[in-house]
Amino acid sequence: MHPQLELLLEIQDLQMQRGGLADGTLGDMESDVFDIKVEDAISSLDEKVLELEGRLEEGVRKRYQLVTGKGPRVVAPVINGICYGCFVAISTARASETGRNRRVESCDHCGRFLYHLD
Amino acid sequence: MKLRDFFSTEAIKLDLEAETKDDALKELVACFGLDEKSDGILFKMLKRRENLGSTGIGRGIAIPHCRSLVVTRLRIAFGRKISGLDFKAIDEKPARYVFLIVAPPLEVSNQYLPVLGKIAQFSKEADVPDALAALSNPQELIELLESKGI
Repeated sequence: MHPQLELLLEIQDLQMQRGGLADGTLGDMESDVFDIKVEDAISSLDEKVLELEGRLEEGVRKRYQLVTGKGPRVVAPVINGICYGCFVAISTARASETGRNRRVESCDHCGRFLYHLD
Repeated sequence: MKLRDFFSTEAIKLDLEAETKDDALKELVACFGLDEKSDGILFKMLKRRENLGSTGIGRGIAIPHCRSLVVTRLRIAFGRKISGLDFKAIDEKPARYVFLIVAPPLEVSNQYLPVLGKIAQFSKEADVPDALAALSNPQELIELLESKGI
């Protein structure tokens, strides 16, 4: 897997974790069951995301900033040739290429970075 | 939704080889049969969650959990280490029973929170630690969940 794609996945997973904590339901459970201090956890995740964003290469960062402006999900899984960010099929040629995930590519339709799962 | 639907006997390890928390997480992640890179990403995310605060909820039970794009559906693995693992649990006692939950960022039926809640609720039942200690094969865990009606 391309290191920048791995970094993007990590950023997205952390942002999902942060979003879950901030939205109340997961935050309440983390606090009640696991004794997590939600505000501290959110701050910690924000710091980590900032640190990881700083490691994005310039070209990737520009696209990342463009996509984050549209919503929280910057990486979309591709399953059976469908981008699960916008639910539009990516080209058959791209979907079947070897070495997928070894480069950073984005969806022609929604612009999200693509992570091939199938 | 029943908890047993998320378990497979391949992801139930009644004798974890791991001697440390990290190795236990790796051993359980490996049960899902993902590729090496995905295993690494999941492990990293689980560690990041642990860094926010231990998922060891006491009474010998830990519930490490995270969401990650590298999985396509909610998965649960269970591991048992009778000698215990240092999980920095709330009660500072070793974790003997580990329920590991991973889910994709978005799920159609949004089962992550209910599953997490059900396992937490199950773990709090008085007889559960002893019942988990007494399991002699993976199928008995499924039967235990069924007997609890969850």
